[in-house]
Amino acid sequence: MLSVLGYEFFRNALIAGLLASIACGVIGTYVVVKRMVAISGGISHAAFGGIGLGYYLGIDPIAGAVLFTVGAALGMGMLQFRARQQIDTLIGAVWAAGMAIGVLFVSITPGFAPDLFSYLFGNILLVPAGDIRLMALLAAVILLVVAVLYQELLAATFDEEYAAIMNLPVERLVLLLLALIALTVVMLIRVVGIILVIALLTLPAAISRQYTSRLKAMMLISVFLGIAFTMGGIWLSYLLDIPSGATIILIGSAAYAASLVHTHMGRIR
Amino acid sequence: MKAPVIEVKDLVVRYNGQPILEGVNLTVYEGDFYAIIGPNGGGKTTLLRAILGLIRPDQGEIRIKGGSPLEMRDLLGYVPQYRTFDFRFPITVMEMVLTGRLGKIRGIARRYGRQDYRAAEEALATMGISALAGREVDGLSGGELQRAIIARALAGEPEILLLDEPTVYVDVPTETQFYEILDRLRRRMTILLVTHDIGVIAACVNKVACLNRRLYTHDSNEITEDMLQAAYHCPVDLIAHGVPHRVFREHEDRD
Repeated sequence: MLSVLGYEFFRNALIAGLLASIACGVIGTYVVVKRMVAISGGISHAAFGGIGLGYYLGIDPIAGAVLFTVGAALGMGMLQFRARQQIDTLIGAVWAAGMAIGVLFVSITPGFAPDLFSYLFGNILLVPAGDIRLMALLAAVILLVVAVLYQELLAATFDEEYAAIMNLPVERLVLLLLALIALTVVMLIRVVGIILVIALLTLPAAISRQYTSRLKAMMLISVFLGIAFTMGGIWLSYLLDIPSGATIILIGSAAYAASLVHTHMGRIR
Repeated sequence: MKAPVIEVKDLVVRYNGQPILEGVNLTVYEGDFYAIIGPNGGGKTTLLRAILGLIRPDQGEIRIKGGSPLEMRDLLGYVPQYRTFDFRFPITVMEMVLTGRLGKIRGIARRYGRQDYRAAEEALATMGISALAGREVDGLSGGELQRAIIARALAGEPEILLLDEPTVYVDVPTETQFYEILDRLRRRMTILLVTHDIGVIAACVNKVACLNRRLYTHDSNEITEDMLQAAYHCPVDLIAHGVPHRVFREHEDRD
């Protein structure tokens, strides 16, 4: 089994899983505690529009995805603050429009769209070395921003109105957080794909929330859970020759179900 | 005469074209314990939010110690009526009370220093909830949570405390204790309290006004029947529920 570590593609997959787990553990914690799961779903599906654009223009689809996710995140955030639109309606529109744009661009791009399936459902075993460097950079940016602005983000995610009275730039902080969610989503596309991103972003944090009441501890536990899910998923998918993204998500979902049963039984006793 | 700390002049606030506040004039002096009563939907919360600079007035002016609400915000402590946060948020009472210090810290990458912890601990002690410091907000009772929310406002060492329906979540014995705490606080700061419940106006209040889109003032702690009539647009029963030192006038019969 360990001989597989000799392959570069397998080592890259493990490193990509590790980096994605760091990002989704930290950012996923905010997503869960501030109830931004649906908006994250909208952001990730908007990515498909960018991937389609990338194919059409002949550039890296991931670059297109960055453009679309960050654009969708900031657009929805600003509309929520300024236009007082109902956020679930906005999410529904962005979610479907993103997918529609992607489908349109892919259909008018001449020839066959390679790897399209892996953008939708992920294939961590195909992550190229260049993407690993990009993922490392993104993970470092996320850790730095959260470390520097920890108290500000805590206050703004806990109670927006009171944070505003404390003279915090609440709108800018929330938009920054949405942009970080967008970048995390892009990192996770390589690992589990657009359709499954939302699960990897939220499952580790949803599990750790049941065992701790501290934000920092939640982040730390979520990172380790993410690592366990991705490593376990990569190994199992290699062993059984099944899709890696789906395997990672099913391990996470099973762990979430087990944690619910565990904490629920604890309460009954 | 003491200096005015809050001056509201000809304030008009509209929402979707509908006036919520119309021609409101209010002066609160240093050391006042000012109570504003009025029916639900009368604009009480809107008035407090305008004083905090959360709402921009359509007309009129608000000065806090001569400055604008945005400039003078760090002099204000606020106890909101509606809990704008999520109870399930993973945060301890101490962490929550400390966020009341953020207005005193400048720049980005704000960090709490020794003085911030001291002020937060003092605020918890004042509210009698020092023992709850490490507890998660999620497990608190309504009364405990309300004390924590007031402690958060006190942690910022405000000169002026704004309270929006502070007793709405607490039971009667807690309410009595609660007014004892306010009575002690009024020696340290100016207090402006709004409530829909006429029965809660305590003896320690020194000025009362009625608000229902317009503000009816009397510059004393006496609620006159005219004021109530104007604010509520119907005769209001002035029965006080067994609280002594009540300052209502005789109730006249009318048809």
